[in-house]
Amino acid sequence: MSENEPKILSFLCNWCSYGAADLAGVSRMEYPPNIRVIRIPCTGRMSPKFILAGLRQGADAVWVSG
Amino acid sequence: MITFKLNGQTVQGEEGQYIIHVAEKYGVEIPTLCNHKALEPAGMCRVCTVELFDGRRSRFVTSCNYPIWEGMEVKTDSELVRDGRKLIVEMLLARCPDVPAVQKLADDYGIKELRFKKEDDTCILCGLCTRVCEKMGAKAISLTGRGVDMKVDTPYHLITDACIGCGACASLCPTGHITLDKINTQHTHLNTQLIPSEYDVGLKGRKPVYVPYAQAIPNTPAIDRDVCIHFKTDGCQICTEFCGVDAIDHSMKDEIVEVEVGAIILAPGFKPFDPSQFDAYGYSKHPNVITSMEMERYLSASGPTSGHLIRPSDHQEPKKVAWFQCVGSRDSNRCDNSYCSSVCCMYAIKEATIAKEHAGDDLDCAIFFMDMRTPGKEFERFYDNAKEKHGVRFVRSRVHTIDPLPGGNELSVRYVTEDGKTTTETFDMIVLSIGLETPPELVDLAGKLNIELTPGNFAKTESFNPVATSREGIFVCGAFQGPKDIPQSVIDASAAAATAGEMLTSARNTMSKKKEVVPETNVVGERPKIGVFVCKCGTNIAGVVDVPAVRDYAASLPYVEYVNDSLYSCSQDTQETMAQIIQQKNLNRVVVAACTPKTHEPLFQETLINAGLNKYLFEMTNIRNHNSWVHKNNPELATEKAKDLVRMAVAKVALMEPLIETELTVHQTAMVIGGGISGLTTAKSLADQGYETHLIEQNSQLGGQALNLFHTAQGDNIQEKLSELINSVEKNDNVKIHLDTKITNVDGFVGNFTSTLSSNGSTQELEHGIAVLSTGAAPYTPTEYDYGKDPKILTTLELDQKLIADDPMLKKLNSALFIQCVGSREPERMYCSRVCCTHSIENALELKKRNPEMNVYIIYRDIRTYGEKEYLYREAREKGVIFIRYSLDNKPVVAAKDGNIIVTVTDHVLGRPMELTVDLVSLATAIIPYRDEKLANFFKVPMNEDGFFIEKHAKLGPSEFATDGTFLCGMAHYPKPIDESIAQAKAAASRAVTLLSQKTIFSSGTIAEVEPMKCAACGVCVSVCPYSAPAFSEEGRFAGKAEINPVLCKGCGLCVASCRSGAIHLKGFDTDQIFSQIFEMDEAI
Amino acid sequence: MKNFLEHTGIEPGRLHFSWISSAESTKFVDVVKKITDEVKTLNPANKKYVKTEPKVD
Repeated sequence: MSENEPKILSFLCNWCSYGAADLAGVSRMEYPPNIRVIRIPCTGRMSPKFILAGLRQGADAVWVSG
Repeated sequence: MITFKLNGQTVQGEEGQYIIHVAEKYGVEIPTLCNHKALEPAGMCRVCTVELFDGRRSRFVTSCNYPIWEGMEVKTDSELVRDGRKLIVEMLLARCPDVPAVQKLADDYGIKELRFKKEDDTCILCGLCTRVCEKMGAKAISLTGRGVDMKVDTPYHLITDACIGCGACASLCPTGHITLDKINTQHTHLNTQLIPSEYDVGLKGRKPVYVPYAQAIPNTPAIDRDVCIHFKTDGCQICTEFCGVDAIDHSMKDEIVEVEVGAIILAPGFKPFDPSQFDAYGYSKHPNVITSMEMERYLSASGPTSGHLIRPSDHQEPKKVAWFQCVGSRDSNRCDNSYCSSVCCMYAIKEATIAKEHAGDDLDCAIFFMDMRTPGKEFERFYDNAKEKHGVRFVRSRVHTIDPLPGGNELSVRYVTEDGKTTTETFDMIVLSIGLETPPELVDLAGKLNIELTPGNFAKTESFNPVATSREGIFVCGAFQGPKDIPQSVIDASAAAATAGEMLTSARNTMSKKKEVVPETNVVGERPKIGVFVCKCGTNIAGVVDVPAVRDYAASLPYVEYVNDSLYSCSQDTQETMAQIIQQKNLNRVVVAACTPKTHEPLFQETLINAGLNKYLFEMTNIRNHNSWVHKNNPELATEKAKDLVRMAVAKVALMEPLIETELTVHQTAMVIGGGISGLTTAKSLADQGYETHLIEQNSQLGGQALNLFHTAQGDNIQEKLSELINSVEKNDNVKIHLDTKITNVDGFVGNFTSTLSSNGSTQELEHGIAVLSTGAAPYTPTEYDYGKDPKILTTLELDQKLIADDPMLKKLNSALFIQCVGSREPERMYCSRVCCTHSIENALELKKRNPEMNVYIIYRDIRTYGEKEYLYREAREKGVIFIRYSLDNKPVVAAKDGNIIVTVTDHVLGRPMELTVDLVSLATAIIPYRDEKLANFFKVPMNEDGFFIEKHAKLGPSEFATDGTFLCGMAHYPKPIDESIAQAKAAASRAVTLLSQKTIFSSGTIAEVEPMKCAACGVCVSVCPYSAPAFSEEGRFAGKAEINPVLCKGCGLCVASCRSGAIHLKGFDTDQIFSQIFEMDEAI
Repeated sequence: MKNFLEHTGIEPGRLHFSWISSAESTKFVDVVKKITDEVKTLNPANKKYVKTEPKVD
């Protein structure tokens, strides 16, 4: 991956942001292809460990969205 | 099959295909401006020129209309081709320098300076328009003239009857040369316009083939026969050529299907009022006067402006917006709708608040109203916040004139303020808060069905049977029963289902079929054998993502045994093949890379079940909604992203284990707590539907607060109806009544509750599958207005008692005064008690009926006679009841002195205090919930700050709790009149029956589980869980440790994240599974 | 969490939280764009937070 194409690890709540992302697709909106989505059942499932592990793994950023 | 060479690669195509199509199949892109899949190629733009070597020499041909032949060699991107194309594009650019499509091509070919003379044409003579016109069956335009004079035109440049005004030419024109405006002025007399999108109330266009809105169910497109050109000219049918699965059949005909049913439920809804009939508001004249429905779309993220607030005339952001209430409601002069539409006050406040959120606090929002009606749950607080926190202005005035200011953008509004002064204000935009009405078609339908309507054209129902129409077996719900909001409509809907269910109990489950079960293969302990299925979704995914590359990449991943791609993974034949492959290859894990699991996961899981695999050995990754659809201009990165997503899914699925869905029997007994009207109705409904029901009442008598009530708003005698209801419940063999009984303990959960009932010292255990809380509420005992100092100062219920008893003191009255909002809408009780305005007006009318000469005053803050209750308010005014408004900071003063009662009120028109000496004062006291913490704890259900129970969802789940198996209705939910209590009581019964009738329920597989060895018994999970699933184990080896009830667990993972010992695992989303995805996010080196 | 990251030397711009309802596709897109732009202004992480295994000689 080139220098200026960061990877953003994204934890999306199944009921909220994941649905918004689906709808963005249905509406054929465009956004940068840098996010990598992990579907979680609820943001309550998030643990700081996941954020740290993501960064440790080399993600340029972590995004948690409910 | 013809084999030839394309850029050195050997490729194959069908006889008769053109080069460009074969190239597309092999992913070789050739630019073109004049080619369209459904139209005959014409080779007009020449941009698709390629180099052809026929064995002896090279020449240039246009690839869009050159058929392939055996052994030919084609180069699409050689230097010669690029130079040739560059020249063509340069000439096109000289002709049409301002056309974006040509500019983009010029950019691609690095053309910076033009060597030719610039012209200012916008037509590139591609002929798409003339070809599509012919295809539409019209032939209105053609290429006329020769050489430099060639142009697209109608015969003799005249307006032609041949044009059907379909607009196909404009929609295909690649340069924007043809516009709808041009068609209307140069081609036809017809007024060609965009097809207005119904969903966006005409603010946007839509296609003849369309999905009504993004969340529509089913989410498949439909053809609008009224506008589709094929049904007019027999031409077009272009859509059939684009559909990859041949799903379109224009020859389908409407069918008349006869169905035999036992009951009919009418839920046809309403029509928003059309304000164009009112001249005064100038809706049809001024673009900046819009309806509230249009405002909804402007404020919506999926609306015509993506939620950006603009004024329509010039698309500038407005600075000042006004809402006019009661447009088409409470108005018998200009329209026939004299009822209140019930929902407009709240939606206007909501729109104003959202508008300020979107446009910033500087936006000035003013709502012009007569009475602010916010009698719903949490509505008063919302109103107060809009005023105090968001700074929405509320102006009590009905505007009479709107004048447009010069420039056509601003509107001047003249109105009279409360103190009688005429004021003029300028606004950028005016929103008409239009009401709800029954359209003429429904009035016709009602005639055909032979059901009676109310004066407002709503289906007529009775207070004690609010969802039954005048004809037996026909039920009604939603706004056709009366103007109402979402929660009330949802309540009605469940109530209608319950009432129909009571009738049809004997038919329940007689027509259902059972599915055959494929035995499940045991895969525990096996090495993962993963199958990856990549979907092309026609061109939806394959058009952007290199699907074969993703497929091949997936094959290289660990444990992957099988890979495949398919055109449509979700099609039935692919599903069958998938099940066969799983069995043949002995796959034990499956990944599908396709669309969204939110809609398609259940489908693929079904396929796994049919292949004998546990449905949780599956992972779906979204390479369409989250990838191809949103990155269409970035195919390379999109393909990379797809590979990443597939790799993450493969890593996760390898760790998936088969999960068990616990089966649980539902005890076929119900417990209803509270023997008021709501509890009685729920118990009766459940019993009539065949379930043993226990009705618990803490008093010695059934009936609750209704025992104190005189008449309903519709004039029914409550005592008569109540004793009928009590009688029918007492006689019902399925109902067991427990009077003088309290609940002292509740154990268990959905399907298996055990409650301890205590009555006069003796206790009894009751097993039940569900519980309904209908515990009601009590009247507030006032401390204000000299209550208690004189027997002539009464509360509303005390006056009702006197009316029921026909107390002789009523005959002696010469004057009476009602004070509203006693204890309601106060800072410490920020809610409206909903029933009091109607109740006081009813009693005022009753007093007037007994003695028309009596002076009757109603001292109020806002009159909230919502819906058709408004008629009572009008009647009261007509009969001479005097209404005097007061404000919270200037309350009336009641003084009981020497047997006289003197009330001092400040008249809001004169602004002066005046004294009224009256014979009776009736205080409309608030309705206060019991705030029964103990009961709430027993069932683990929440209460709001006022003490009312909190339902599962304010709009969509008003009659059930978030905790499974528990339901609520009546005034324990919120103050409400008898008809609404009965509707909700039936709704609670309906929701309960959906559970009871299943007999057994299954938990989800993706739930949390405690590893007791690691549990420190800290109790965090017990306290954080919103569904009360974790509890301390009481017996066995791990007593004292937490355990999670699989039936109550919703799998949200809150406890997992909060467990400090790492003792809780969330099956399907366990820590190691999420970690595996994180670790695979970036390629391991 | 952001403070903690800063403490460990990770820029707070590498962690984002948001709340988006399932109907707010526009907001979703805006947030993705905003975050991507912001992250692009930071230097690539280049696995610099990868824990190095203790060396055993």
